Amino acid sequence: MSVINFEFRNEILKHNVSLSYCYQCSTCSGGCPVALITQGKYNPRKIIEEAILGLQNKLVEKQDPNSWLCSTCQTCVELCPQKVEITEILTLIKNKCFETGNVPEAFIAQGRAVLENGVAIPYSKAILTRREQLGLPIIKTAPIEEISKILNVTNFANHIPKEGT
Amino acid sequence: MSFDLFLGCVIPARLPFLEASSRKVFEKLGIKLNDVEGFSCCPDPTGIELIDHKTWLALGARNLSLSNNNGGIISFCSGCVETLKGVNYFINKDNKVKDEVNRILNNIGRNYNGKTEVKHFAQVLYENLDRVRENVVHPLNGFKVAVHYGCHYLRPSEIINWDDPFDPITIDEVVRALGADSIDYELKMECCGNPLDKSDKDISLKMIDNKLQSIQDSGANCITLVCPACFQQFDFNQRELSKGKENGYNFPIFYLSELVALAFGFKPEELGLKFHRVRPGSLLEGF
Repeated sequence: MSVINFEFRNEILKHNVSLSYCYQCSTCSGGCPVALITQGKYNPRKIIEEAILGLQNKLVEKQDPNSWLCSTCQTCVELCPQKVEITEILTLIKNKCFETGNVPEAFIAQGRAVLENGVAIPYSKAILTRREQLGLPIIKTAPIEEISKILNVTNFANHIPKEGT
Repeated sequence: MSFDLFLGCVIPARLPFLEASSRKVFEKLGIKLNDVEGFSCCPDPTGIELIDHKTWLALGARNLSLSNNNGGIISFCSGCVETLKGVNYFINKDNKVKDEVNRILNNIGRNYNGKTEVKHFAQVLYENLDRVRENVVHPLNGFKVAVHYGCHYLRPSEIINWDDPFDPITIDEVVRALGADSIDYELKMECCGNPLDKSDKDISLKMIDNKLQSIQDSGANCITLVCPACFQQFDFNQRELSKGKENGYNFPIFYLSELVALAFGFKPEELGLKFHRVRPGSLLEGF
């Protein structure tokens, strides 16, 4: 059963009023490469419709349609005749999914890498050797204490489960 | 002319040969790139931004605050450019966002005024096309290049604010300035599918398969692009996707900087072209 969550809807509207401009013309889905490949199973128009209706359980828990299937190509945003900021609204929905742990593992892994190293891909020994062979300099990346501090202030660190849990 | 160089993560820590060609090209053009200490992940606009927008803004703003160069920042990566331009966009659009980001940065004794300019390396090449032409010593005759722009080089146009989001010309123009042909193909503007590698590998592979098929149908003999995520998607998956196909894919993937470097007379060995999965082979005879 779909339950309307007015608070959820208002939160999205407050964050991005362009949600209310949508008149469901489906131009976004018509231009979406993932909608084409999944034969409409992934469907940005429907995601926006569910957001307008405040169907949090469909968007965040059931993920029907699944917002994580957006390829972030931004075609929908360019095509929308009503200037609905679709990817910004999708980002908010995905942020909600992350807060409640409904997120593909690869995103958590990237978050953990940034939390632990300040960068998404730490420099391996093999890469450091290859860099030297190519005549490339040693890169001094961010001091990890600065990055940790930021990630604690934004509460990001709390949403990254320890590895193996 | 000089810029602060923002390397990001994927290029320096996984595909350093792309960094090598890019540095060589800019040195040859007399455009100085300064290495800056202390950058973090940009962070990834197809990763961290999607899970925590506030963290994305804060880390991005911290990176931008580290640049003191009047020319601003240059990056070899479309993802980094989108993030850094995007953070500028959100901060400058809404003072409340700017204040919130600075409240976070105050915890580490930093502040960001929203004024650091950001450019993609391909933009800088296009803006210096005459200088590029002057440095060509080995025109790329016989290179029939399928240009893949990639999404984040162009869109969202309100943030990127560079070239046309659906009918771009800049990379084609650079390719032609090197003496190569740019070959049109039906799916030129389609996404390569790389970001979906994190959530649905099958869809991701279907997208790159369609794209490669379209390039095969066009008669192109190589591909150029300007984003390390796109590079991995094109270079790493061709062998797997060729299984069971009568005509498998075998397209060398050149980063735009590699094409420019070859035309400038650099040797394939100094560029590390041997580290590509699909070896350029006969196209490089005589280089």
